[in-house]
Parts: sequence; structure tokens; C-alpha cells
Amino acid sequence: MNAHSGKHTADATTVEEGLAIAEELDRQYTNEMATETAMQNTLLTPRFYTTDFDELDAIDVSGVREDWDKLIDQMEADPNRGHFKKNEDWDHVDWENMEPQLKKEFIDFLISSCTAEFSGCVLYKEMKRRGNNKDITQLFQLMARDEARHAGFINDALREAGLRVNLGFLTQKKKYTYFRPKFIYYATYLSEKIGYARYITIFRHLEANPEHRFHPIFKWFCEWCNDEFSHGEAFALLMKTDPKLTSGINVYWIKFFLTAVYATMYVRDHQRPAFHKALGVDPDWYAHEVFTKTSELSKQIFPITLDIDSPKWQPLLERLQKANVDLDRAKKQGGPIGFVKRMSASARAATAFVQLLLIPSKGNQVPANVRLEPVY
Amino acid sequence: MGWLTKDIERAPCTVEVSHCFESLHAHVRFNNGAVIYPGDEVKVHGPEIMAPFGEVVREDREATIVRASKLEQLWTRLTGDFEIMELCEFSFSEEVTL
Repeated sequence: MNAHSGKHTADATTVEEGLAIAEELDRQYTNEMATETAMQNTLLTPRFYTTDFDELDAIDVSGVREDWDKLIDQMEADPNRGHFKKNEDWDHVDWENMEPQLKKEFIDFLISSCTAEFSGCVLYKEMKRRGNNKDITQLFQLMARDEARHAGFINDALREAGLRVNLGFLTQKKKYTYFRPKFIYYATYLSEKIGYARYITIFRHLEANPEHRFHPIFKWFCEWCNDEFSHGEAFALLMKTDPKLTSGINVYWIKFFLTAVYATMYVRDHQRPAFHKALGVDPDWYAHEVFTKTSELSKQIFPITLDIDSPKWQPLLERLQKANVDLDRAKKQGGPIGFVKRMSASARAATAFVQLLLIPSKGNQVPANVRLEPVY
Repeated sequence: MGWLTKDIERAPCTVEVSHCFESLHAHVRFNNGAVIYPGDEVKVHGPEIMAPFGEVVREDREATIVRASKLEQLWTRLTGDFEIMELCEFSFSEEVTL
């Protein structure tokens, strides 16, 4: 282990190496324990999944071999190694004087992002461990590495805010749910691509308006989202190996996922007004910007895109958002009147979502060559 | 595995918790090759494993696997997909107000 002396863990090429270096550093942190106890505990609650591992093993990437190898080589080369550590660009954060509502929403942002990266890591690691197909296990190992690295980086920002994530969930009872592989492809592909679009949009906006950058973590968004981008590319290639995944009945599934992901993002972003105000971002503009980029990117593999410029699109999103707020209010009110209001709000939300689904989608001729580069 | 009965197994496992800047992760590996199926529940025994910041803790523990009954497994396979949206990253929690 002494071979790693003097190396920062962010320079590690593999999870294992990172662990070895970190272990070596263990001794330095004994004093930290004292401060740890004063920190507020935040229990991470990732979910645990299983899937059809035989189906994953059966994937044959030979049809996209050239693109696949290039992507894997690029991920192995790990251009972002060493990027996720604090340097002189990490400005001091005045947590004490941060406006309380902004602080609450920003911490929600950090914890949710950390949990998401963490869950991604758990899922990818599980797929790596259970799979027997070398191409697939190699990919998932690399993605698990990136997600754990991102989670560690966010965790550090949380620590500065006096929050300590608690990984004690392992000793609690946890149930494993099940997803079909194809749903994992659609959901994670979209999640990675929309994640890229979200981060890069904020990064470019703050490049032009640095006075709104209220926390240094946003400066790291550019490299961060390039990781998301390559993960998305990998899932696009996986889907390309089997044309059935993007044709026939599955086109409806794709439409469902696109609608659900866009709508959920719209609703959640609108629930965090202080965060967006501090960034100087209008959530409606932001949503449209992110949807436009994601739709453009998803043309690489999905045979349809949503008609986000339809005159019905925006009003229906607003209706869904309002129904969601009413639903929450009714739940908190409780009692028989609350119950009636709840039923009404749920019905309005469901109707709006179905109407969103019914907006005709736009056809798209998927190109023969899948691969894209991050250009936004 | 019965249609309605649950089997309970104990399995030795290695838990690895990394609370580092480089990598924040936590994994359980069963050392006897036990495989988890949909609907199964896993509990690692012993006190909570807390890795101080900058440390990786690896411990050998024992875990209980409560096997889902056949019916439960089928149910999880049929309905698990409905929770798929959890896989998507939206930056914020679902709490409407904070």
C-alpha cells in the first residue's frame, strides 16, 4: 500500500486503488472523530434493486463493437481523475449567513444529489458483481467508480455545511425490488442525459452570470456532467444492440418515460423557488432549455421526441404542478375535508398527466451511428 | 421456497463502507455465494457501521436473508417496475415544501 504514498485519492484509477489509498490515510483522521459527533446526522436511504441478470449477460455488443471499445477506452483513461478534489477555486462558503430558505433548499439539493449518486453506485456495483459478461461488468464497474466519486464530492460539500451522512442503513432491514433490464436502460439513459442537460445549463448560465454562483460546487458541474454524458452514451449503445428495445410496443414505454421524467423534473424544480432565484434562473425557462437539450440528445436512440412546443404542453405542466401543491396541502390538512380535496387533487394530477401523454409525439429517424459528443 | 412460506437463511458477509472524499459507497458481499432474488429482505447483524470521514471500514458480519415466498417474488416482479422513477435523478427530494 505504500506504493500509493503521496497520492490523492481523487487520482486513483479504480475503486480498489482509491480504497487502498484512502485506507492508508485513515490514521490522519482520528481527530476528525471529535468534530463528527457535533455534526448533524443525515441517514442516506438508497434503494436496493435486482434485475434479470441472465438477460444482461446475454447482451452482445459486437454490433456496436467499435463505438463500444472507444467509449470504454475513454472511460478507462479516466480524463476526470483528479478533477473531483477541492483546489483554490473552492471559495469559502458563508453557510452562517445564507438566507435560511435558500440554505434549506440547497441542502435538499445536495442530499438528494448525493443519494442519487449513491443509489446509482449501489445499482451499478450490483450489476457488475452479478454479471458474467465481461463487456457489461467492465462498464458497470467504471460507472460505479464515477458515481461513488461524485457522491464523495457532494458529501464533502455537505460536511462543510455541518451535515454528516450516515451510511448505517446497511444494518437496517432492506428489501430488494425488481426492475426489468429494459426499464433500467430507459430510466437510467434518460436520467444521465437529463442530468447532463441540467448541469450544463446551470454551468453555462453561471459562466455568463458569475454573481449568481452562491456555492463553489457549481464550478465543477462541467466535468461532472461529462461523466453523466458518457454514462448516457453507454446506455444508448446498449439499447442499440437490440432494435426491439426501441420499436413496437416499446415506443410507448419510451414516450411514457420521457413524459414522466420531464413532468417530474418540472414539478420538483418548481418546489424550490429560493434555489432558482439565487441562481437567477427562471424555472420555466430552465425546464424548457433542459427539455430541448435532452430531446435533441435522445434523438440518437429514441424513435420519437415529445412535442414540447405544443401549445398544450406548458399549460398542462402548470396544471400538474398546481394539482401537486394542492395534494400536499390537502394531505397536511387531513380530516374528511382534506380527504375530499386530496381525491380531487389526485384526479386533476392524473388527468393532466394523461393529457400530457396524449399530446402526439414527433417521429425521429434514428441515425445509424449512435455516438455523440458533449457540445452544449 | 413455498408459495406462501418464507425461508430464512443466515449468510456470512463482508461489509465495506467507504466514507472518503474519493469515494462514498457501501456494499455488502455474501461470502457463501448467496444470491438475492426479488422481494428478499436482507439485514446485516451487529451495531451500525459508521466509518469516520476519510476511512474505509471493512467488516465481516453475518446477515439474515428472509427469502420472499413464491407469491411475493412474483408480485415484486410484476409491480417493481412501477417504482422505476426512483432511478431518475432530479436533484431535489419529493417534499413539496421545505
